This record gives sequence, C-alpha cells and structure tokens, in this order.
Amino acid sequence: MQPSSKKDRKLRQQMVCYLSPNLQIQPPLPIIYSRKLAFPPKFKAVRQAWVSNMDTVEEEKLGLIDLHPEVFAERPRVDIIHENVRWQQLYRHVSYANTKVRYEVRGGGRKPRPQKGSGRSRHGSIRSPIWRGGGIVHGPRSPTPYFYMLSFNARLNGLRSTLSAKLAQDDLHIVDSLDIPTDDPSYLEKLVEERGWGPAVLFVDDNDIMPLNITAASDVHGHYNLMPVYGLNVHSMLKHHTLVLTLAAVERIEERLLFHLNRNDAAEAGRKHRLDSL
Amino acid sequence: MVSTLGMALRYRPLTGVSSKVSKANALFNPEWTTVRFRYHADKVAKGPVPRRHGYEEKLFQGGLLPRTAFPDRALPIPTYKPKNSWNEKRALFGQNDYIDILGPSNEISQKPLHPTQLLYHVPPWLRGVQGNEYQVLLRRRKFVQKKGYALGHPTKWATLNTRIKKLYRYLNHKTKSPFWKDA
Repeated sequence: MQPSSKKDRKLRQQMVCYLSPNLQIQPPLPIIYSRKLAFPPKFKAVRQAWVSNMDTVEEEKLGLIDLHPEVFAERPRVDIIHENVRWQQLYRHVSYANTKVRYEVRGGGRKPRPQKGSGRSRHGSIRSPIWRGGGIVHGPRSPTPYFYMLSFNARLNGLRSTLSAKLAQDDLHIVDSLDIPTDDPSYLEKLVEERGWGPAVLFVDDNDIMPLNITAASDVHGHYNLMPVYGLNVHSMLKHHTLVLTLAAVERIEERLLFHLNRNDAAEAGRKHRLDSL
Repeated sequence: MVSTLGMALRYRPLTGVSSKVSKANALFNPEWTTVRFRYHADKVAKGPVPRRHGYEEKLFQGGLLPRTAFPDRALPIPTYKPKNSWNEKRALFGQNDYIDILGPSNEISQKPLHPTQLLYHVPPWLRGVQGNEYQVLLRRRKFVQKKGYALGHPTKWATLNTRIKKLYRYLNHKTKSPFWKDA
C-alpha cells in the first residue's frame, strides 16, 4: 500500500461520498476542539496546542486542545532537570572495580628475612602495601553501589520542567494516534523531514503495545523510539529532539501529574525510600 | 665589535706546565695581567647561540621519517569504530525510572511499582542498597550464608568474614564515628 497524500485522501472522500452515500466519511475539520482540564488552573493561563495527524506525510491540523499550565507551563528549572539526569545515570550504576588487600594477595605469609642481622630493612610480608605487587590499602572494593533516591517532588518537578521546556521550545507535538498507513520506514522518514521534527523523535502513547505499522517502521531506525507513558523520563526527553504525544498520552500524563500534585497524602509518597520496604 | 687583541697578547697557560713554581708564576706574577679577549657579543654575531645545552629535543625537527620493516602495509593501529549512540540500550536509557509517578498507584488492578524493583542488571541483594563497604558486606553475608556459600566458596567466605572483622576494627577503633561531632 502506497503512502497517501492530502490530495489522495480528499479524492477518496469525494469518491466514497459519490459512490455510497451511506458510508461514514471523515467529518470536516476541526475534529477535536475541546478538552476538559482536571483541577482547573486558577492563577495561570491555559496553554493550547495543535493536534496533528499521522495518516499523511503532510501535517493536517485536526484541532486545538487545552493543556494544563501546572504540567506544561511550569517555569523550567534547569538545576532540577540536571539533578534528575544525574540521578538517572547514577542510581543504577554499580562499580565492579576491585583491588586486593594485603591478605587477599596470593602469598605473603612468611617473613622474608630475619628481623635482625642481614643489614637490610625489616619486613613482615612480601605483600605489604609498600612492596611492589603488594596489596592496595584504600583502593576500589567491588561491588560499590552508587544508588541514591532523589526526592519524590524533585523527580515530579523534573518531569514538569522538562515537559514545559519541550513545549516552550516547539519540540512537543500532539497527534491523535500513532496509526500510520504503511510499515515502510521511509514513510516515517519523510513525515519527520516534512514537518521539521528533529532528527530523533520519541513517540509516546498510553498503551504499551503500539500499532504494528509504526513498530515495524521505527524498528529500523534507532533514533525513532516508541514508549508508553509509564516509561517517560527526563533523560529520554532530553536525548530525543522531538517529543510526540498522542491525545491519550496527554490525558494520562496530566491525570498522573495532577493527581500527585493535588493528593492529600503527599507526605506518605514523599517519604524517604526504605530498603526492603517493597 | 670584533677584537683582535686576543691574537696579539700572549698568556701563560696553567695546564701542561710541569714545575710548581711555573704554575704559581702563571697564577700571580706582577709582570702579567689578565685581559678579557673573549666577548659574548662576538659569539652572538657569528650565529645563533644554542640554548638549553644538553637538552635532547624529542619532537620531529626535520629529516627522514621513521620507516618500518614492511613498506607495503600500514602500521598496526586499531580501526576506529564510533559508538552507536542509538543502539537499544542507549536510546531507551532511563525508561521506567519514573514508574512510581507515571505508573499506576493504589489501583486495585495493577500494583504500584518502584524503580528499585526494575533494576534487573544489579545483583538482587544490591538493589536499592546505599552504603559504604562495611554495610554492603554485612548485607552480602546475610544473603549468602544460608545458601551454603561457606561450602561452595570457602576462600571467598573466609575473605568476606576477615574483611568484615577488619573493617569493624578499623571503623570503630581507628576512625571517628560521624555522630561524634554532635556529642
């Protein structure tokens, strides 16, 4: 099946309309034009964004939706974003570098020479740290974990800051769904090229099982990646130039972040992580 | 200024004279006087004066390049392979780190998750562990002693216990506890 263009679609609409008037045709644009915001904002202006399609290579704006300013218009805190990226890189890191201490190094149990009489310096073991080939005193000891947990609110605000920064810098686009007409990788390439989306694009949907066509098309390219909402993170958002969210993803992200911002048992969530508490 | 004085004057050398009297005469004799006849300016005028005497320049100054025994082949240098920034591991790095925020919470159908539960590449006893070597080793011993580690890895078991003992002694007898500053 060849990739469709705007002209083809209009032609097909007309043909369908003429041939079988009982069939459902695409209603006139705009299709999506309103969205109810949970926890309506009191002090910040509501932000708006276009909703595009993925059916055609050329961008077709299906409508305009509201975005909650507490999620998408938070003043981006670069220091919090940095903290988050550093945490993500470090918390799972374990250093396996190891050096042997003097009693772990092979040998060195016997006194090399008598204490007195030889005229040479006195030693107790050939593996003492002052000897060549001896043990290392304060060297790395495997395994060294670098785990630490950033506070709940620092991570929450990291997500808010990054999403806001992406929207403010025109790197955030919203689409109705990730259904594309073909599984040809070149369709995605042309689409991204045509719309001026960055070299690397991160597609986010609510569901973790993505449509077949986009999965096949993006599998070839390492810089087009698909992610469910629960997998979204600051590092990936910064690594990929453009972030493309589906409407369902926007709903889910807003619902989750606003829930955590407005919950009345936040102290429980913000408590320090305890080992073996899960 | 080029002086020709050095040519005309004669001076008595100190070396090559056998008798001590002659040497003494050469050192001090009211008939003789030493006159400067060598000037640094003359040396400079002749050409550039070499600096850093005795220093061997290791950088290539000119001349034939080094040659190898095999003129047809290139030197054995490893081929440069740039790292793939977009392989699966690097492209999806950090995925699911915010699963406790963006994932389900207190829902009946799905259990809420914490990122420490997803550290699959970290040894199970080390997941979510934050501590110094002593604390890490104590935890390791706890996890390992019930599984017959002492029978399967006797040397490592002995090393583990020795290390714990040494660290206990060192930390408690040789170093100050972090709580001392509050006392």
